[in-house]
Amino acid sequence: MRFSHRGTKDSREPWFGVRRDLSAKRSSILSLVSFALPLAIWAGVSYLPFLWHPDIRLQISADREDVATVYIAGDRVSKGFFPQITSAVRDQNASIEAQWKSDDPLGGSTESAVRRSNKKILRHLAPVLISNGVIDEGQSKDDAAIYRAWKDIAEGTLDLDSPELAGENITIVQQNWKSMRSVSETYDSDNSISRPLLSLIPQGKSANPDYLPSPDQVVAAGVKIFTQPPEGDRPSMLQRVGHSMRIVFGGFFLAALIGVPVGVLCGTYSFFSKLVEPFTDFFRYMPAPTFSTLLVAIFLANDAPKIALVFVGTFFQLVLVVSNTTRRLDLPLLEAAQTLGANQMQLLMRVVIPGILPNLYNDLRILLGWAWTWLVIAELIGVKSGLTEFIETQGRFRNFDMVYPVIILIGLIGFFTDQILALLRGVVFPYTDEGSAASANPVIKALLFLPRWFKDAAEQRLPHLPDKSTHPTRA
Amino acid sequence: MKIQKSGILRHLLALVAAGVVTTAPGGLNAEPLKIAYSDWPGWVAWEIGIKKDWFKEEGVEVEFAWYDYVASMDAYAAGQIDAVSMTNGDALVTGATGKPSVGILINDYSNGNDMVVGKPGVESLKDLAGKKIGLEEGFVTHLLFLKGLEMNKIDGSSITIVNTPTNETPQVLSSGAVDAIAAWQPNSGEALKLVSGSKPIFTSADAPGLIYDVLYVDPESLEKNRDAWKKVVKVWYKIVAFLKDEDNLDEALEILASRVSISPEEYEPFLAGTYILTPEEVKPIWEKADGLGSIYGSSVISDEFNVKYEVYEKPLDTEKYLDPSLTLEVLAEMEK
Repeated sequence: MRFSHRGTKDSREPWFGVRRDLSAKRSSILSLVSFALPLAIWAGVSYLPFLWHPDIRLQISADREDVATVYIAGDRVSKGFFPQITSAVRDQNASIEAQWKSDDPLGGSTESAVRRSNKKILRHLAPVLISNGVIDEGQSKDDAAIYRAWKDIAEGTLDLDSPELAGENITIVQQNWKSMRSVSETYDSDNSISRPLLSLIPQGKSANPDYLPSPDQVVAAGVKIFTQPPEGDRPSMLQRVGHSMRIVFGGFFLAALIGVPVGVLCGTYSFFSKLVEPFTDFFRYMPAPTFSTLLVAIFLANDAPKIALVFVGTFFQLVLVVSNTTRRLDLPLLEAAQTLGANQMQLLMRVVIPGILPNLYNDLRILLGWAWTWLVIAELIGVKSGLTEFIETQGRFRNFDMVYPVIILIGLIGFFTDQILALLRGVVFPYTDEGSAASANPVIKALLFLPRWFKDAAEQRLPHLPDKSTHPTRA
Repeated sequence: MKIQKSGILRHLLALVAAGVVTTAPGGLNAEPLKIAYSDWPGWVAWEIGIKKDWFKEEGVEVEFAWYDYVASMDAYAAGQIDAVSMTNGDALVTGATGKPSVGILINDYSNGNDMVVGKPGVESLKDLAGKKIGLEEGFVTHLLFLKGLEMNKIDGSSITIVNTPTNETPQVLSSGAVDAIAAWQPNSGEALKLVSGSKPIFTSADAPGLIYDVLYVDPESLEKNRDAWKKVVKVWYKIVAFLKDEDNLDEALEILASRVSISPEEYEPFLAGTYILTPEEVKPIWEKADGLGSIYGSSVISDEFNVKYEVYEKPLDTEKYLDPSLTLEVLAEMEK
């Protein structure tokens, strides 16, 4: 071979060779890059403002009188809309300043309404104070601490730098402080300011839309949601994972429990095949979600209709796949067994079932993946539950930084379940091609050590123990 | 304007299902009262009683189940729950197409939180001519929309209605598939936030009394467990007293906002759009009268609408859907 043996050094090998395998080292590097590349693109778009960043992420709430929509710190608004809000707040401030000079400083509203709105205005500073470390996360409604901060900023003893307050907001703080000081130097809940205060002008910095949070936000959200303890009727994330897995595996195992025997019978006997398969074939074209209202009516709320949906979605496919696998069993095996005088029962139990087991295992592995695809729909019917309920509620309120970790988690669960099952295949079926390849894997070797040791020990004590797995047809 | 019958079909299906199911869970006395509630601010207020254990204090066992609004009515029609929070108009729809119920408690009237939201450029209902609106057909926001057309003397025949679950309306509006949506808070607020420059073009504040938000109970359960239901009413008025006290506002907002997963700051404006009725304010509403100032009059108007727009066929005996006696008894006891 001219190409492959020209040099022993890896660096001499071409990276691009038509239908040529890369060295193990290069394969590993590329595997890493295949994960690193999307991550790098994501990070680039997130952290390089000039790439995209069509929105402004607010650092100070945009709360306007007479508008029911409150933009709080952390919300995003488009760069086109942001100036509209700020100018609306500026106009509002101008009219309040005009009110101060008029005969009716309350501007027609009641004293209690003004008190409440003042309280809100003072609290608008809280997110900025929190990110500057002036107050704690839990102090966003600690009016006394916030009041003190207003005083310190107005008197110049407190400088904020991450983020800074804009110049116009410093002026507003000073103007408001004049009103506040005339009532009390420190917060006094009984004697609060009844003259309307000026609102801070919304501030923010450029950001991507909320549906593309940056990696650090997703990681932070992931840490937060997975460390949150259960609260009231709200389960913890681990409980949600458990709940979702119960539904997937519950539906899947039920489907397998009934579907595998039916499928094997169909694949073995033409009688069952003709009796069962036409209807099954028809039924599987009815999408499982169309049964959801029926399933809720029949099985009521909670988990039963959800498990039933996974079952309906999996069972009919499973029967057909299993019967097909059964039918693909080598005919000579059956003929040989019959020549040796095997009866019906022996054919089924000693030839068919052992013969299809490795392929059946693969089928079930694929169908388990299939069952996962029903999870989201299943969890939405009746009373929403599990991971999907979380994704739904968070997604509806556009907390997408909370949604990504859960989506990634579902992916990881599916991926690792499948990988583990693939590894186990080598353990369970060492005599198949894939199995013998797998048994060279160090992980598998470690896994196999104990059972092998027991087997060897047992064989030494009982030298006549027949090895059924390699000679399934021996009657 | 063509009204599709899908909402009704769903109820017919639920009715069939109810026939299958009613044999299973009996309305035994020892069982807790099962109450379905959804994201309307007036009903989220039950959360205060739940969080503060006031039902236990009052000696009544309740089980509150959180649903999407239309799903909650389906569950009621299917016989899975004993009571459901509905608007007075939707109680009639659920009654005509699924299962009748009796309103025993008025939580609030909608004062702006139900709204038609137009995307930028749609400044009024008139601008909707030849365009599309996303709303849940046959239910409360549909009623509001039709009322808006009627009040503004607009012919709606050129407006296409796209049947949209209310909680999906924000996404549907922002996708550009429709030019307006009709929804209630917090969904309408999310839509306003999501689509910069969108604005409410008609709200329930323009037709106060059109939409009363009520606790509707299965007549059978009401008969069997009247005392227990009375206790539920009692707890409600405890919640009202709590909510109306300004000092409790922060605590109340915390509880309410966390139920619908938004921040208390965002929740606060909802309180104005859902007018929670105090004992004094609710009494005249329970009196039989014509017009929107009475729940009787309001229900008749909803009924006429529903028949006119073929939500169902025949007018209903709306009085059968209302029973003020429990509220009045509780209020009389409170005055003592």
